Amino acid sequence: MTARVVDGPAAPDSAGAAEPPPRPTRVARSAAVAVLVLLAAAPLFLAPFATTTLTRVLVFALFAVSLDLLVGVTGLPSLGHAAYFGTGAYAAGWVSINVTSEVPVPLLVGAAFGALAAALTGWVTVRTHGVFFLMLTLAIGELVQQVADSWETLTGGANGMTGIPATRLAGQPLVTAGYLYWYVLAAFLVGFAVLWLVSRSPFGEALRGIRDNEPRMRALGYPTSLYKYAALVLAGAGAGLAGALLAAQVRLVTPADLGFATAAFGLLAVIIGGAGSMWGACLGAALVIVIRDALGPSLDGHGTLLLGVVFVLVVYLLPRGAAGTRWPRRRGSGRRGSGP
Amino acid sequence: MPVWLEANLVSVLNGFAIGFLLFILAVGLSLVFGMMDVLNLAHGALFLGGAYLGASLAGGGASWAGFLGALAIAAVAGLAAGGVLSLLTEPLRNRSHLDQALLTLGVALVVSELLIVVFGDDPLAVGAPPGLDGSVELLGAAYPTYRLALIGVGALLALAVYLVVDRTRIGALVRATVADREMVAALGVDNRLVKAAVFAVGSMLATTAGVLGGPIYGARSGLDSTVLILALVVVVIGGLGSVRGALVGALIIGQIESLGRALLPDFASFILFGALALVLVLRPRGLFGAPAAVPR
Amino acid sequence: MADLPTFTRRRLLVLAGAAGAAALLPGLAACGSSVGGGGSGGAKAVKVGLVVPRSGVYAVVGTDLQRGWELWLAGHGGKFGDYAVTTVVADEGETPQTGVPAVQKVLQSDGVDVVVGLVNSATALGVRDAIAESKKILIVANAGAGDITGKARSPYIWRSSFTNAQISSAMGTHLAQSGFKDGVYAIAPDYTAGTEVIAGFTKAFEAGGGKVVGQAKPALGKTSDYQPFLSGIQSSGAKATFSFFSGAEAITFVRQYAQFGLAKSIPLYGSGFLTEGNVLPQQADAALGVQTTLHYTDQLDNPANKEFVATYSAKYGESPSCFSVQAWDAANVLNRALRSATAVDGDTISAALGGVGTIEDSPRGPWTFEGQTPRQTIYLRRVVRTGGKLVNSVVQDLGQQSQPA
Repeated sequence: MTARVVDGPAAPDSAGAAEPPPRPTRVARSAAVAVLVLLAAAPLFLAPFATTTLTRVLVFALFAVSLDLLVGVTGLPSLGHAAYFGTGAYAAGWVSINVTSEVPVPLLVGAAFGALAAALTGWVTVRTHGVFFLMLTLAIGELVQQVADSWETLTGGANGMTGIPATRLAGQPLVTAGYLYWYVLAAFLVGFAVLWLVSRSPFGEALRGIRDNEPRMRALGYPTSLYKYAALVLAGAGAGLAGALLAAQVRLVTPADLGFATAAFGLLAVIIGGAGSMWGACLGAALVIVIRDALGPSLDGHGTLLLGVVFVLVVYLLPRGAAGTRWPRRRGSGRRGSGP
Repeated sequence: MPVWLEANLVSVLNGFAIGFLLFILAVGLSLVFGMMDVLNLAHGALFLGGAYLGASLAGGGASWAGFLGALAIAAVAGLAAGGVLSLLTEPLRNRSHLDQALLTLGVALVVSELLIVVFGDDPLAVGAPPGLDGSVELLGAAYPTYRLALIGVGALLALAVYLVVDRTRIGALVRATVADREMVAALGVDNRLVKAAVFAVGSMLATTAGVLGGPIYGARSGLDSTVLILALVVVVIGGLGSVRGALVGALIIGQIESLGRALLPDFASFILFGALALVLVLRPRGLFGAPAAVPR
Repeated sequence: MADLPTFTRRRLLVLAGAAGAAALLPGLAACGSSVGGGGSGGAKAVKVGLVVPRSGVYAVVGTDLQRGWELWLAGHGGKFGDYAVTTVVADEGETPQTGVPAVQKVLQSDGVDVVVGLVNSATALGVRDAIAESKKILIVANAGAGDITGKARSPYIWRSSFTNAQISSAMGTHLAQSGFKDGVYAIAPDYTAGTEVIAGFTKAFEAGGGKVVGQAKPALGKTSDYQPFLSGIQSSGAKATFSFFSGAEAITFVRQYAQFGLAKSIPLYGSGFLTEGNVLPQQADAALGVQTTLHYTDQLDNPANKEFVATYSAKYGESPSCFSVQAWDAANVLNRALRSATAVDGDTISAALGGVGTIEDSPRGPWTFEGQTPRQTIYLRRVVRTGGKLVNSVVQDLGQQSQPA
């Protein structure tokens, strides 16, 4: 029943990297609750600009978490994930302008279109691996950005989609920084929860197995291409949801949101935070946004330099295994699987 | 000759100029990728470095001294940069190729930002050296002399690279490493030296291409990503680790950028990326790549 | 060795979290509530947020804007009327991704009363709702999209610069009267400003009986080699070329236009940004003889401009550009508005701006607000070499132009 998944990953030749993540310890659980409480209470004691920055962090964090499902859990390094992010943003923006901006319509539309874009492009990309996947997703990302740039009637062209109305909750527009923050936080938590649960489910474990040794998984009878495709579509939905939140918060979507820079920053956030650990991706996203928006101006706009340096350092200090977080070994802390 | 035909023939000629420039840029990327499966995403930044060097030394009043000096300095800087990159990716040798690619991405970010810090935000223009800054009457239109010279230089360099790779022992070593890395190591050759050498020479070609491309492209921030993507398309279409493939791929892309943009201005970019996607899916090893060169 | 990276990684993450928290601390320090309302007080003082690019490709424009602004304040005791002026500068960056947060920052974090600046039209359109909802005044000191004071207009958004179509339609009328009716080729990058410029030009040119024989829209920011387009111009049989490029693209295009020998056979005309500011020295001799229309050139022969150029050059060692004048005039009109205003809230200043009348002492010549954007004189200029330097010298005064519909 469960034997096949448990035995497979704990093979001696890929020591450590193939282990599924251990169940969260009690410390981790209370830390998570504390962070949640802090996040929920933030607008009550933070100045509006700090709240707006935190909102931006949440949006980017959801994007990074969805990318982590691809990079960290499934082992598909994507440099074109921003395409789904931007597609969701444009879709949500268009719906807000032309149909309605009532919660939850833009969110659902954004997630749906993100998933659709991933579904359309995914069947091509899942047939490649590793660095080739990287290049192909880069190409697709550039292609989608070109479309956004050229299709002026739909997307507003290079100027972007402007005049997106404020999201409405039961008829009331969410304009104050604090209310908008809570809305984004709620959507973020839902998205994060779904992605996190998927990564912890048997499906997620299968994805990790595919990441570590795809031929073996295929030999075990898994339809690996289908699983990868499903992961891609799910990640696309997550990115689309984040895009819808972007449209709600900034109320402007430009082709740059679909571009290589956004995708590269997302990848940076995931790698810095620790590929495979969802909360790590959030932390990485926070670091990227803070450096770019808060520290950037004081560094004369050269925040990217600092990010690049941090990124290089992190790549060196990564433990063995490209996409895997090594948790400190604690004897008897509820690790699943039988080790050697 | 009807005017429209003349105009398009000029585009074809221009395509060769751009194509040869792209070849000089991309051949290093192709060889390193084919040999070591290292995707050097910092290649575009190297080109930009060369471009800025050319702009600062040969910018205002272009002179032969300035231009040749810029070429020489760019060549040396490129060799050094390639050696450094090789060193940087060494510790990651046992990790996945993705890690090495990500490392070069980080380096690319750092280098391109540093270039802006050093050279400022302004886009810079580079003049062609005297004697080459005029134009030649060709097919009823004027064509810049410099680009004609570029075709000549590019063809010579292509010949030189081909001869080295095809006729010398070092070239044989490179080709053997592309075909079967482990076997070459088993024969007692230190892979690291070969890799460092190819990295160094490939980077030197990239920075030189930056200087040579100055009178056409100038130097501005953002040029590194544009050029990197073009080089990637060339390498993938032409085939990894193949000099012939890099040449053919570069010439094809040169034509798409020139003739393609003249005939189908709205679609030229789509053709480019569409072609890349198509090749990656249907024939990942490219036109001339060795089947074994596709990493798992 | 196996455990060391793990330990370091964790420490790195904690450090990152601490760094992040430390960076957010300044925001915390300005404690407040994001859920309630806030008020600003201040007797006889006005706080202005100057949002201009200080990094990226538009940094040069941002520098000129800031210099023009500061020059006016330095020459007038740092006051608008009786109000002492504090300026907070924020970096607009290159795109709305950095521009919109910059405007949000000065509005929310710095609590400014007025926002001045904005080079990028996309950013200006993107902050329109935020400005309208905050009921603070925005004076756009550069962005030229027609919609800013057209479709997306708001009583709180005023402009001291120009509209894209305003400048190009003047050239359209002029070329129709100058013997080029048979054929002109229009080329501009493929983005909204380029589209507006060509639309404005075409409308005026065709109204004067002219015929546009060909048009091209090279991709913005991605085109470095214009040869395919230059070949297109040649094969179209056009008698003149009308173009609009700015920054790096202006440099590349004008140089390549000369390199491919078109400059001799098909004269090049353009919207003023083709040869304005720091691109002219980079274009060098390739720009000689190029004629453009713009609302300013430093060669203008009126007393206000002579003084402006003299003080600007003395202070900054360079000649002013149209961007410097636009910011200078933003300060100018704010001064006039606040001379009669009783408060610094958006509605009062908006009403005051409406009653400002003709601004006679501007270096660009007299101008008025029409539809919250300048109605001003457009000049025909030609690039010549004077005293060893390339300048845009005035050929003709094309009269006052409004924002075209």
